[in-house]
Amino acid sequence: MKNKLKFILSTKTSFVLISLCILTSLSLDAAEGGPCKDYGECDEFNYSLNNKESLQRGASTFLNYCYGCHSLQYSRWGRVAADLNIPEELFFDNLVFDNAVKSGDLMKGAMSKEDSADWFGVAPPDLTLVTRSKGDDWVYTYLRAYYEDSSKQYGVNNLVYPGTAMPNVLVDLQGNQKLVCKNIPLIGKNGGEKRDDDGKTLTKEKCGYLEVVDGEGLLSKEEFDSLIYDLTNFLVYVGEPAKAERERIGWYVIFFFVIFTALSSLLYREYQKDYH
Amino acid sequence: MQEKDKTRRKVLIGLTSAVGLSGIPFAATPFIAAWNPSAKAKASGASVKIDVSKMRYGQQIQVAWRKQPVFIVRHTSESLQNLDLSLSKLADPSSDAIDEPYKNMSPTRSQSNEYSVLTGVCTHLGCSPKYYPEVEPKSWDASWSGGFFCPCHGSMFDIVGRVYKGVPAPTNLVVPPHFFEGNILTIGEDGGVA
Amino acid sequence: MNQIFSNIFNWVNHRLPIVNTFERHLSKHPVPKKVNFWYLFGALASVTLIIQIVSGIWLIMPYENTEEGAFASVEYIMRDVDYGWVIRYMHTTGASLFFAVVYLHMFRGLLYGSYQKPRELVWIFGCTIYLAMMAEGFLGYVLPYGQMSYWGAQVIISLFGAIPYVGESLELWVRGDYYISGITVSRFFALHVVALPLVLIALVFLHLVALHEVGAGNPEGVDIEEHLDEDGIPLDSVPFFPYKVLNALVGIGVFMTVFAIIMFFFPEGGGYFIEMANFEEANPLVTPEHIAPVWYYAPYYTMLRAVPDPLGGLIVMGSAVAIFFVVPWLDRSNVASIRYKGIYSKIALGLFAISFITLGYLGTVGVTEIRKTVSLICTVLYFAFFLLMPIYTKLETTKEVPNRL
Repeated sequence: MKNKLKFILSTKTSFVLISLCILTSLSLDAAEGGPCKDYGECDEFNYSLNNKESLQRGASTFLNYCYGCHSLQYSRWGRVAADLNIPEELFFDNLVFDNAVKSGDLMKGAMSKEDSADWFGVAPPDLTLVTRSKGDDWVYTYLRAYYEDSSKQYGVNNLVYPGTAMPNVLVDLQGNQKLVCKNIPLIGKNGGEKRDDDGKTLTKEKCGYLEVVDGEGLLSKEEFDSLIYDLTNFLVYVGEPAKAERERIGWYVIFFFVIFTALSSLLYREYQKDYH
Repeated sequence: MQEKDKTRRKVLIGLTSAVGLSGIPFAATPFIAAWNPSAKAKASGASVKIDVSKMRYGQQIQVAWRKQPVFIVRHTSESLQNLDLSLSKLADPSSDAIDEPYKNMSPTRSQSNEYSVLTGVCTHLGCSPKYYPEVEPKSWDASWSGGFFCPCHGSMFDIVGRVYKGVPAPTNLVVPPHFFEGNILTIGEDGGVA
Repeated sequence: MNQIFSNIFNWVNHRLPIVNTFERHLSKHPVPKKVNFWYLFGALASVTLIIQIVSGIWLIMPYENTEEGAFASVEYIMRDVDYGWVIRYMHTTGASLFFAVVYLHMFRGLLYGSYQKPRELVWIFGCTIYLAMMAEGFLGYVLPYGQMSYWGAQVIISLFGAIPYVGESLELWVRGDYYISGITVSRFFALHVVALPLVLIALVFLHLVALHEVGAGNPEGVDIEEHLDEDGIPLDSVPFFPYKVLNALVGIGVFMTVFAIIMFFFPEGGGYFIEMANFEEANPLVTPEHIAPVWYYAPYYTMLRAVPDPLGGLIVMGSAVAIFFVVPWLDRSNVASIRYKGIYSKIALGLFAISFITLGYLGTVGVTEIRKTVSLICTVLYFAFFLLMPIYTKLETTKEVPNRL
C-alpha cells in the first residue's frame, strides 16, 4: 500500500491530474460578474475579415452614424478604402464628408474633444481599438443592448454598460427596445417541463429580457443584427488592419518551421548513430 | 561508415541547409521593409494641390511641399517678354547644367505658359530668395529686369528662377515635378507628362 | 586567393585566439552524450534573447518615448510602418516565451541538481539573469503606455513606498515626478533599451563561461569528468559540433513553430501576453477593473496579495525570488538528479510545481475567500519546498547513481 501511494505521488501523470483538478475548481469559483454585466454572458461574435462586402457595409454604417462623435484617430482614410477594396474616388465622394480631408490623413474625428466633453459630460472615446480593449463580443452585444429607461438622461440605458452616457444612436433602425418580463416554463430535474395536474405547463415570471416594441424600427431584428455584425466586423478590422494578412502569412511560416523541424530531426538522428 | 550513410548525411545536410537558408530572405523582409517610408511619411510627402485661378498677374505665392517652400508665380505678358533682357547676365539660360523636368516646353520652365513653379531654396546655401518683379534699378543690380534676390549672400535669379553669372549660387532654382489640371496645380507629381 | 585569405586569417589568429576559442567553447567542447529535452531550454533562451534584441532595436526606431507620443507611436508601428506589426508581435511573443523557456530551464536545474557543486556559480549567475529579466520585462511593459502599463507601474512603484523610513522618498525618486509621467517613461526607456540589456548580455556571458569551466550536467547526475580517454576528453561526452548543434536545431525548430503559432494567430495570448486593458491609452483618472500583471509575474503577485501587510507582502515576494539563490546550499543530498533522490524530494518538487502553477493562475484572476486561502496554502508549500530541503534531502534514502552514461 505504501509503495503504491509513493508510486502514485511520484509519477508525472498524477502531478498533471492534481494540477488540473485544482485549477478547474478554482476557476469555477468566479469572483466577479462578466464583462457584459447585466446582460449576462456576451453574445458570441466571429469576425470575417475576408468578407469585404461586410466590412464595406460596416464602414458605411460607422461613417454615417458614428463618426460624427467618435474618431478613429489611428486609422488613415486611404488605407481603409484600399483594404476594403473601395475605389478611392467612390470612397471620398460618398463616405468622406469633409472636403479638406486628404487620402493620407488620420481619421481624427468630426467633433473637438473639448466641445464634446462639454455637451456629453465625457468626450466620446476614440474607437480605433475598442474591439481590442473591450473585446469583439462586448462591442457586438453592447450595440444591441439598449432599452428604454425614463430615469436616464437620454431616456435609454444599456444592459452591457449600465449608466452609459451614450444615447441610442441607432434607435430609428432598431426601434425602441424595452425590458420585459416573460413567463418561462419551469424545468424539472430530469430536464423535462413541469406540468400541473391538468397537463398545463407550469411557468414562472422572469424579467430582464430585451424586446423591440412591435412595429418599430426600419429594420427587422435579423436585419439589425446583421447591420451590427457588419459594424462590429469593421471595428475589428480597424482595431488591427494587418490581422487578415497576419493570419494568411502565419500558415506559411508555420509550414516552413514544421518542414525545417522534420528535416533537422532526421539529420540529428542520422548523426546520433555515431554515439548510440 | 557505409557509403549509403555518407550519402544520406550529405543529402540531409544539403536539404536542411537549403530549407534553413531559404527562410533567411523572408525573415529579413520585415526588418528591411520597416525602413521604407511609412504611411505617415508618404502622407506628409504627398502632393499638394492648389487652386491658382485667384492669383493676380505678377503675384507670387508660396506653398510648402516636403518641408520646402515652393514659389508659384503668375507672370504678366510683359515680364515674360522681358525675359530676354537679362539673358546676357545668366550663367545657364537653357538649364543645361541641372535636371530640368520640363525643358523646352515653355519660357516659364513649366508646362504652363502663364505660371512658373520653382523650389524657393537658393542653390547656394539654402536661404529663401525674395521676389522683386519690378523692372527698376536695385542696389544689387542697376539694370534689374525683375527676378529673385537672395538676401543672405546676394545671389540673383531672373523671374523664372535662372541664376545670374558671378553670384555665389551655382545653378538655377529647381523646378519640382508638377502639373496643371484646369485651375488646379498639383506639386509633387508629373501627371504623366515628363 | 585562398592563400591570401589564409595568410590574413593566420595573422589575425596569432593576435586574437579565434581558432582556439572556437574549438574550446564551440566546436570541440565536450558535452554529456545523453541528455533529454530539458537540456534544450538554455539554447532556446539564447535564441530568444537574440530575437528580443533584434526586434527591440527595430522597435526603438519608430517608438516615441514621451508621455504624449508613446501609445500613438505603438499604433503607428502596427499600422503605418511596413511590417511593423511583425516586429511588434515578435517582441511581445518573445517576451512571454523568454519567461516560459527560462522557467522550464530553471525547473531542469531543480530536477537534475544542476546547481550542485561545482556548478553553484552557474546557478547564481542564472538567478541574477532571472532577476534582471523580471526588471527588464516590467520596464518594457510600461513603454506602450496603455492602461495596464500605467497602473501596473503604479502598483510596482508603490511597493517601494512600503519600505520603512526611505519608502516615500524612494518612490518619488524612482518616478522622478509626483505621479507617473513622461519623465518616468523616458527613464524606464533608457533602462529597458540600454542598461538592462547590457547587464543581461554580460550576465549571460558570465553564465556561459562559468558553465564551460565546469562542464554541463546530465539527467543521471553522473560526473563525466571521472572517466577520461587518453586525450583527457570525457568518455561519456560528444563534441558540441555537430552533435549538440543538431540537437539544438531540432529544439529550435519546434520552438519557432510554437513561436510562429502564437505570433501569427494568438499574439495577445488570450489577454495574457498583451493584456486587453493595454489597448486603451494610460488614464490616471480611471483605474481598470482588474489590475493584473502579465502572466510571468503572476505567482509573485499572488503572494503579494496573500499577505495583508504591504511591507510583509514585499518581503515575502522578495524572499520568494531570493531563495532561489541559496538552493545549492539547501540541497544536502548526496545525489544530484531527481531520478536517484528519495521519495520526499519527488513529492516536494511535485508539490512545488503544482503550487507555482496554481499561484500563477491565481495571480491572473480576482480575489475570493477560497482563493485567498488557497494562495496562502500554496505560498506556504512554495517556501516549504526550499526551507525544508536541508532536512528532507538528508533524511531520505537515495538510490545508487551509475558510474557511466
